[in-house]
Amino acid sequence: MSGYGAPGGPVIHDPMSLPVDDNVNNYTFCVELKGSEWFLQKGKMIAYYGSMEFNGIGHGRLDRLVRTSFHSPLHASDWVVAQGSGKMLLADRAFDVNSYDLDEGNLTIRSGNLLAFQPSLALKQSIVPGFLTLIGTGKFVAASNGPVVFMEPPIRVDPQALVGWADCPSPCHHYDHGYMTGVMGGLRAMTGLGGASGEEHQFEFVGAGTVLLQSTEILMAEQATGAVPQQAGVPGAGGVPGQHGQQAGAPRLPGQLGDLQRRFGL
Amino acid sequence: MFRLQGSKVLAVDVTGDAVKAKNGSMVAYDGQMAFKKLSGGGEGIRGMVTRRLTGEQMTVMEVKGHGTCWFADRASEINLVALQGDKLYVESSNLLATDAGLRTGTTFTGLRGASQGNGLFTTTVEGHGQAAIMSDGPAVVLRVSAQYPLTVDPGAYIAHQGNVRQSLQSGVTFRTFLGEGGGEAFQMRFEGDGLVYVQPSERNTIAGDV
Repeated sequence: MSGYGAPGGPVIHDPMSLPVDDNVNNYTFCVELKGSEWFLQKGKMIAYYGSMEFNGIGHGRLDRLVRTSFHSPLHASDWVVAQGSGKMLLADRAFDVNSYDLDEGNLTIRSGNLLAFQPSLALKQSIVPGFLTLIGTGKFVAASNGPVVFMEPPIRVDPQALVGWADCPSPCHHYDHGYMTGVMGGLRAMTGLGGASGEEHQFEFVGAGTVLLQSTEILMAEQATGAVPQQAGVPGAGGVPGQHGQQAGAPRLPGQLGDLQRRFGL
Repeated sequence: MFRLQGSKVLAVDVTGDAVKAKNGSMVAYDGQMAFKKLSGGGEGIRGMVTRRLTGEQMTVMEVKGHGTCWFADRASEINLVALQGDKLYVESSNLLATDAGLRTGTTFTGLRGASQGNGLFTTTVEGHGQAAIMSDGPAVVLRVSAQYPLTVDPGAYIAHQGNVRQSLQSGVTFRTFLGEGGGEAFQMRFEGDGLVYVQPSERNTIAGDV
């Protein structure tokens, strides 16, 4: 074939040597299309051999596919469908990428970490804001900052290290409040003065399943997840007034003591 | 003699000869070394003017001496390229070091550069010897041959070598303007015979958003 690339130099790939639906290296994943389709997050394709077409989810010809495997209208603008034949390389900001197989299973993952999935899986929005759930049988590709670690519940994990979870019920928040009781404790938690460990808040998982963690606490840039329908009872919708949980992210006005105020029932 | 120490540090053994490297990329050296700044990429007055005009500026130093010199830049992954009389096309920002015997120059790339957001010109390296190029994450080397043309996202492209024709492919349709684009509005197509280096990360390009 061609004379470029000396022996002993870097590995040179061509369509024959590229793996089928597997990692090329830790940071690049190769997908083979044979007239089939894959859902991709926009802009994660870095190169391909063969002939392929990338169409937005709203493309008319994809109606049937979208009806069966894409159930998140709010993410529609972030996803495309790759169709055609050939081999395609996927990568994301030089993060580790890995593929996972689901067999009649379900897996929930942080929306920014999911790169691609086979249409035999159905994508739905998790009721936990910012997460997506995949249900069915098939392969998907996800990115993580550092290699992924698999853990078994019961486990408490750091919110920034959580990538996703499979086959187990949703996590709940866990707060270590034991040492924060009383006025001094409240001040400590609010200001960090006098020692806050930064680990007072965790996600707690119980039941049977697997929890996926990344080996760093640096979050990947969050993918916009859109808003959920403004309905009472929908988490994250802000539908019901007077719920404490909704105010977590809101800026606190001066004079408002927030958690401290609530602690003393003021 | 170029060799990699880990994937992010380049070690060059010099025995009286010289190596051209990105200014300030030396991290350590052993033995006797002299560092000389080459203005305008070491291509004389003409090269200097061309680089100024084309925006493909690079500040290069010449390292000469006896011993070993180590180079690194912002913990980028380093890839070695062996050149046997062929031409390497690389963005000046991705070029770390070349053998002093290699000729560097500037060439017009056409519209491809515009979509990539890094100008209409690119740097060429030509001759016999070794060059070190940088990438965000380890580069994947893909072969282009007559029966297997390759299409690459402009944001992930870092370099190519050999006898390769490149063209810009546009997937811009009316859907793009409705916000329903395929996310890969501009692609670079490579045909011919050679190698293309791709990094597992995308620079920000205008094409990335449409």
